Amino acid sequence: MRDKDRQNRSRVFYFVLFLFFLTVFGYLLVALSNLILPVVLGTLAAYISLPAVNYLRRKGLPKGIAILILLGIFSFIIFVIGEKIISFIPSEEESLELRVQLQYKLNENFLDFLGKKDFKSEGNIIDNLIGKELYPIFKTVNSFLALDDKEKKIFKHYADSIKIPQRVLFFFNENQKHPFEALVSKNNKDSANSKILSAVPDVTYHSKIAVFLKAISNWIILPFVFIFVLIDEGEIKNFLLSIVPNRYFEMVFTTISNVDKAIGNYLRGTILQSTLVGMTIFIGLLLIGFNIQAAILIGIIAGISNAIPFLGPIIGLLTGLLYALIVEGIDPLLPFLPDNPVVGVIIVVVIAQLLDNALFQPLVLGKAVNLHPLVVVIGVTGGSIIAGFWGMLFAIPTIVIFKVVIANLYKQAKEYFIIY
Amino acid sequence: MEGKNELKIKSLWKDYSKEIFAGKGDSLVDVLHKIPLFNKLNKHELKIVSKFAYERSYEPEEFVFQAGQPGAAMFMIKEGEISIVKKNNENEFVEIARLKEGEVFGELALLDSSPRSAGALALTHVKAIAIFREDLNNLLETHPDIGGRIMQYLAIITGKRLKETTNLLIQLEDKLTKLKENCNEG
Repeated sequence: MRDKDRQNRSRVFYFVLFLFFLTVFGYLLVALSNLILPVVLGTLAAYISLPAVNYLRRKGLPKGIAILILLGIFSFIIFVIGEKIISFIPSEEESLELRVQLQYKLNENFLDFLGKKDFKSEGNIIDNLIGKELYPIFKTVNSFLALDDKEKKIFKHYADSIKIPQRVLFFFNENQKHPFEALVSKNNKDSANSKILSAVPDVTYHSKIAVFLKAISNWIILPFVFIFVLIDEGEIKNFLLSIVPNRYFEMVFTTISNVDKAIGNYLRGTILQSTLVGMTIFIGLLLIGFNIQAAILIGIIAGISNAIPFLGPIIGLLTGLLYALIVEGIDPLLPFLPDNPVVGVIIVVVIAQLLDNALFQPLVLGKAVNLHPLVVVIGVTGGSIIAGFWGMLFAIPTIVIFKVVIANLYKQAKEYFIIY
Repeated sequence: MEGKNELKIKSLWKDYSKEIFAGKGDSLVDVLHKIPLFNKLNKHELKIVSKFAYERSYEPEEFVFQAGQPGAAMFMIKEGEISIVKKNNENEFVEIARLKEGEVFGELALLDSSPRSAGALALTHVKAIAIFREDLNNLLETHPDIGGRIMQYLAIITGKRLKETTNLLIQLEDKLTKLKENCNEG
């Protein structure tokens, strides 16, 4: 029989050690919270790249070269996407121009929808039924878009100094005639511009070098995490297993292996699915006549946000509709496609979602990790409360990881006679 | 009763593993080289295999694994003594074989996750090296030449053991038939 005293001492020792490490880990998690996202993304990128690294090794390439090649490919993709996104971020003046266009188009489409020539005239049956309910929402959106007195001065100075299109000036003048304008001038205390611009990086107010330095201070860790996770030849697993007691040794190893496989397949499947949806939307938008830059950007946004269940497709749709409201001169590539860009965007997104549900998801993900819709809704909502957009994006993969870990742990604990 | 033609059950465990003294100062590569499954690999290949070899220490009376648990790894004894045990009808552990330094056990777990047919109990302080089936499967992806050869050697070893088991079963049947005849005559 093993020494009982020694067993008790061991239990106390390991418990105290566990508490110590938990405290240290908790402190580091809070203190280094800025590094969490780069570390997570670096690890994700490494997970996704693992089959590609193995493929290149089978073809005879040394592991280091294979990793560097993949790092180069990832860096190139991120550079291209980042450049595209940054090129679309407007300056303060461009943001004002955008709001002027959006406000005009919103008013125009709203009046068309209600069958009115102006806000004082009679409308159609839709106006009679729900016009009164829609009006306050419309008014709120308008007050957000409308320029206050200070912004109007900036815009006029901008319009005088640079040749902006005549139609934008026309939009601005038409907006001044708008009945909401007077209300907005009095009530719009917080500049809507500051709200918009606070949501995007400070590219417009700082030099590009300063922005670059700020970005790399946290994100420089990402490529290192990527490289070292891929270079690892089981040292991390070896270390983790060395602290597991013998009784749980095979069980823990089997659990880690199963979880590793399941999570890797799920993440790779989700990335592939999002890419397919993004590409479908990109091709669809090109066909309805969007210019290639806008189609790429909307496709990227729709693809990334497609990873968020329920809300993701809506984000993609809203992004497309936002652009559709202000774009002009749309010429569809095929004759049977609609001229109206708003209708076109809706059709493209609906087709993309149908393909996603009927083809992409079953083929790529299958029924690998099925979550109850209620769990998905609560998860996405909780994720948004905890960490905004990133929380929504990572909520479901996090829940999936927990589910896979717990299910495997339970199954293995039963098979290895740890529990009944 | 034991006689000239006694069934050597213990030999089932010993035939295909060598009883070689594994020196305490040997590196992991040297220790792996002594396992028949790996002794045809060169030093570079053994170094790759050593990356997923886990060294474990066991106290006396501690189980390495128990009968009925899914098999996930093969073990090689670096130091100490292991008893292969099975429960009889009275629920008592009965020793089937005793293994020393340099011997391997549980190698069928490298093929699939079938439940262990017997348990492995440490009789002394034991240091063992574990190699997992999943790591071997991953080796087939990253180094298919090395992984393929290991699987081939495993198949040969398993096939030899199957032949030996068949021969022993035939011997047992013959003995049983003779016993029946003797009983009938008596």
